[in-house]
Parts: sequence; C-alpha cells; structure tokens
Amino acid sequence: MIINKIMIVVRAPLRISFVGGGTDLPDFYHKHQGAVLSVTIDKYVYLVINPTPMISGISARYSITETVDHPNKLQHTRIRAALNELGIKSHIEIGSFASILSQTGLGSSASFSVALMKGLNLHKNNKKLSPKETAEAACHLELGLLSEPIGKQDQYASAIGGFNIFEFNPDESVNIKPIFLGFEVSSKLEDHLLLFFTGITRSASAVLDKQRINIDKKLKEYKEMTTMVPFFEKELLAGNIKGMAKILHKGWLLKKSLSKDISNNVIDKLYESGLKSGAWGGKILGAGGGGCLLFLAPPKNHKVIRAKILQKAKKNKLKDFQEIPVKFVQSGVEVLFNDNHTVL
Amino acid sequence: MRNYITNFLDETREVILTVEPEEIARALKILQATYERDGRIYIFGNGGSLALATHFVSDLNKTVFSQDLNRSIKKFQALRVPSNESELTAWANDIGYDMVFAGPLQNYLSDNDCVVAISSSGNSTNIIKAVEVAKLRHIPVIGLSGFDGGKLALLADAKIVVKTEKGRYDFVESIHSVILHLITSYFQDYFNHLAVKNSGK
Repeated sequence: MIINKIMIVVRAPLRISFVGGGTDLPDFYHKHQGAVLSVTIDKYVYLVINPTPMISGISARYSITETVDHPNKLQHTRIRAALNELGIKSHIEIGSFASILSQTGLGSSASFSVALMKGLNLHKNNKKLSPKETAEAACHLELGLLSEPIGKQDQYASAIGGFNIFEFNPDESVNIKPIFLGFEVSSKLEDHLLLFFTGITRSASAVLDKQRINIDKKLKEYKEMTTMVPFFEKELLAGNIKGMAKILHKGWLLKKSLSKDISNNVIDKLYESGLKSGAWGGKILGAGGGGCLLFLAPPKNHKVIRAKILQKAKKNKLKDFQEIPVKFVQSGVEVLFNDNHTVL
Repeated sequence: MRNYITNFLDETREVILTVEPEEIARALKILQATYERDGRIYIFGNGGSLALATHFVSDLNKTVFSQDLNRSIKKFQALRVPSNESELTAWANDIGYDMVFAGPLQNYLSDNDCVVAISSSGNSTNIIKAVEVAKLRHIPVIGLSGFDGGKLALLADAKIVVKTEKGRYDFVESIHSVILHLITSYFQDYFNHLAVKNSGK
C-alpha cells in the first residue's frame, strides 16, 4: 500500500552558456581544470511524478507515452536508469512538459535529469536533495550510469540557478562560484541579447562524441577557452556588453576549430548575417551543429538583425526558425508542488 | 557631550565596515530566487530583533512596491514568525521558549520558501532551533548576527555579520536595520526599473 504518497511537480530552468563550454567534458577536465560561465533563463522543463496506487505498472509520458510493467522495458534511458537506481519498480507515472523543444542547445536534457532526480528522491524516500546534491545525482545518472559522452555544466547550471562560474576538477569535484550581478547590469544584458532557434535540432551526444575524440590534439584550444572565463566575468561585472560580445565571438571561432561538426554552412551564414547587421558578437549555444544562436547587439540594431537573419533563414528553408525572448532567473531546480509534510 | 556623540558615530562608522558586501549579495539572490518561485519569506528574532523582523516584513510586502501599489504584479510574501502574541505565548507557555520560532516554522515551511533569522549574538537557542528546521529541509537561510557571528553565521547560507565586541547590541541592531533597508531599497529600485522598462515597450 502506497496510498499516502502524493503527486509531486518539479521544474528546472534551462541555461545559456557564455564561455568555456566543452571544458566540462571528462576527457578534458581529467587532465586540466575546466571552467564555464552560464546563466539560467525563464524557460523550464516541468516534471510531474504521480504515484498510481491502483495501477501497478509504470507510465512515462514525454514526446510519446510508454506503459510497461517493469522499468527495464522502458525505452527512455534516463527514466529507466533513474528508476532502477532508486529501486522504484512499480506504481508510478512520470510526465515531462516544456515550452522549448529539446536539442536546442539550451541544456534541456540536463534540466530534465535534474528535475527527475530531485523529484524521484522526494517520491521514493521523501529525501530533499540540496541543489548541489541534485546536480551530482543528475551527473551520476547521465555520465555515470548511462556513460553518455557529455559534460557536467548543464546539470550544475540548472540545479543551482542564476549567474555562475563552475570549475571542474580532475577529482570530479566541482567548484561553484556564484556571480552576484545587480539588476542594472542583468537587465542591460537582457536588453542587448538576441536568441534565435535555428530550426535545426541535433543530439548533443553525437556532436560531443566526435569532439571528445579530438581533445588530446586540441588541449591548447580547450585551455584557452577556460582562460576566457575570468575575462568574461570581469566584463560582465563591469556591464561592458561590447567586451562580452568580443569574447563570445573569439570563443565561438575557437570552438569551431575543435571539430568540423560544431558549425556548418547554414549556421555560419546566419551568424555572419547577424554580425553584418550590427551585432557585436555571438555564438551557437550548446554542443553545436544546430540549436540556438545567441547575439549581443545594441538594442537599436535589433530590428534590422531580426529582419536580416529571418530572411536568411527563409532562404535556407529553416521553417522552424524563430526568436526566443528570454529573461534571466536566479532560482535553480524547485519543487512547485509537494503536499507531503509528514516525514522528515 | 559632543565627544560622546562623535565617539559613538565614529565607532558606528568603523563597525559598519566589517559587513561583507558579498554576503548581502548572497542574501539578495536568495530573496529574488524565492520571489521567482512564489515562495514565502519567514522572518524572526528576539526582542529588538523581533522589532526589526516586523519592520522588515512590512517593508518587503509594502514599501518595496509603494510607488506602484495598485499595479497587479506579484509581490513579496514575507511573514513574521510567529505571526502574533497569542501564538508566541502559547508556544512559550505550553512547550517552552526554545520552540517559539521552530514550532510555527515547522508548520508553515514548504520547499520554495526561505528564512531570515536575526540574532545579535547568533546563539539564541530558539533562533538556532528554527534555523536547524530550515536547514534540514534545505531551505535557504539568511542570517543576520553580530559579535563573532555565533552559530547562526556557521549555519546560514548568507552569513551577514556585524563584527563587534560581545554585548554591543546597540551597534549590531542599528546596522542590521541599515542592511535590511539596503535590501528594501534594492528591490524598490529593481521593481521600479522593471516598471519603467515594461511601460516603454
């Protein structure tokens, strides 16, 4: 009998990563400390975990619905691994919802894992994980249990929330350094920022898997990417948007040199058109190969940039191309609904 | 007389410099994150600190938004713990003074909330008990203490300490008030900024 359990709703924010992405891959940080700087945004992955005392099976609802009688029969690798790890074998329904497509470079797959580990620990043991513990649990799920060829920055970004620098140490520990930005600068940065979904989705694992193989040959580039983090932080604290944009641009060029799959002809054309219409700098978000394009540009140029880049996207038949307005948020993973106050 | 006055003012100036701006920044982040997720802010203290707590509750709930109180934006939800004298004395008389904050807090506290604990010594048993309730549930704690910071400075996530010799309640409480007004002022400016920005669009 598990009728005392109730529904739990968790949400975890997506993130924009500014500099250092890629240095959170174990193949790099095992040799040299990695570092990234990112911020969470007002777009979320929502997860509902519902105990089903009258139905013994397991349901997972995401882009499809799966109903099975044992976790091992689930196609969804992360839900399967998480349920097995926590010893949940039956009587559960898990549904995920988001306002942004997956595989857009905003870290949504890690946000899903973060919400999942936060929620399932509450469901199973009424165990409240701290933001840091949640990030660790999500990393354990993805990099440990599933051996996904990905990095650790997104799990930390989504669990902790706000502007942060994360440093990845060879011993697997992570230093979390929050950047306390006043509303003036934060709001100014929002006003300069343009985010476009290219209409091209890609699996981060596929891009990162190829990038990973090359790491030993590109150590110099990766190290340079980590050194950009403190420079970016300095410009960020000073509110120097143009300075930040220049660093983004430099970082994007460097990142493109890591693997030929990070950019492509279409992405390059879109990016060029943004710069030509008055953006100071920008980058592709996430692993690359598609996803979202970020620009920092003076607000007076936004109208022209929008028009030009949309024209370019149409020309390249990117039918899902669109702008995504974003605001920064300070809160990381959060339990929106959990009525169970009984056990502690 | 003049000497006495200038000495006090000089000392106040010296003491105020012991406050770490970084810890206030941390507190602002916690409050903003709580606001974003619709959480509640529970504030408490003993004696003079209770007066500060009550004052801060009204500043967060009303003063922050007072330039535009009618606008239908989400506001802070700050509450003093316990909420009234009946509840305070009921816990004190029936259970014990140690439980006047932890008792009610245990009842109200949910996952999205945060806690502001004010204690000059940082060691008041009832304050520490309440902070432990919050910590056990991973609820972020903003601690305002004085002297050497006490246990509160060890437990809190944002450790705001007014460093003085033991017993200087006058300085500690005065500067706590300055810090709480700084927080009020920050959010007042922030929400005014948002209002101007949104009206321009």
